[in-house]
Amino acid sequence: NDYDNVSAYGTTRGRASTLSPYLNFDPSYLDTQQPEFIFPEGASRQRGRFELAFSQIGASVMGGATIGGATGLYNGIRQTALAGHTGKLRMTQVLNYTMKQGANVASSLGVIAVMYSGTGVLLSLARGSDDEVNTVASGAITGLLYKSSAGLKTCLKGGAVGLALTSAYCAYTSDRIRNFFK
Amino acid sequence: MEEYSREPCPWRIVDDCGGAFTMGVVGGGVFQAIKGFRNAPSGIQRRLLGSLVTVKDRAPIVGGNFAVWGGVFSTFDCTLVYLRKKEDPWNSIMSGAATGAVLAARNGIPAMAGNALVGGVLLALIEGAQILISKIGSEQFKPASPMDLDYVKGFAEGSQQ
Repeated sequence: NDYDNVSAYGTTRGRASTLSPYLNFDPSYLDTQQPEFIFPEGASRQRGRFELAFSQIGASVMGGATIGGATGLYNGIRQTALAGHTGKLRMTQVLNYTMKQGANVASSLGVIAVMYSGTGVLLSLARGSDDEVNTVASGAITGLLYKSSAGLKTCLKGGAVGLALTSAYCAYTSDRIRNFFK
Repeated sequence: MEEYSREPCPWRIVDDCGGAFTMGVVGGGVFQAIKGFRNAPSGIQRRLLGSLVTVKDRAPIVGGNFAVWGGVFSTFDCTLVYLRKKEDPWNSIMSGAATGAVLAARNGIPAMAGNALVGGVLLALIEGAQILISKIGSEQFKPASPMDLDYVKGFAEGSQQ
């Protein structure tokens, strides 16, 4: 029979079409351009702010500990060399400098991260949506809040610094703003 | 899915450090606010100011202590998971003991041993409570035994005559 080796779409497939009916499909059904994911019930495509919050806070604390520890180590070695300490006293002093500075910078950066993440989560809950406005607003609020006890001028300066940092971050990384300027 | 809500092991350390810091700041903040309120001179404005100043000073320190504890605990936990190649409550208990020992290292060997004991016992209590709760929670999924149904009981009794 002339039609033994012809698939349902009219192209000659050779012996393969007689092996299995599952091999007769139109390859255009497979869209290999986009990655295909399965999302569970109620899950959104991007990770929410709350899930990212702990990683951000942890990274700020650990980064602050590294920076503060390095600064404290440098200062400690310099100060003990100037004061002429040696041996066990010097080691204890250097350790004290390192841990004190490390703890200070770590907890400062951590508090800033907690404020930023907290206000971000609250804003996204209150507004019901998550976009760059939340990021910039929570940066500004964090700056205001962090310096709120140091007088009005410092408070406003802190808010301006927070606003500038988060605006720069959004300008670099946000797709929506990039597409807007194309 | 709940089992995928934790990060894989190296990144879990950062996550746990952040979570512990947040708990320390929030819990310590509430605690220090009450303490500052009580220790301030009388008059509501001075009390509120005293509360605010105490929170600003002390809450980050509590947060930092919690963060160090959480980070060291998570590091030991991930190391044990990697070495033993399994995840079970013993990892948490041993990590708690090791964390207690490491954080008391400046105070000499007897203090380290005591802290290790306290840490291990505390985590054993926490893990035991978790196991108990999961056991009680899984009771609802237990399939009913056919011998408990009334008409089967009656049938079984009738057939013994």
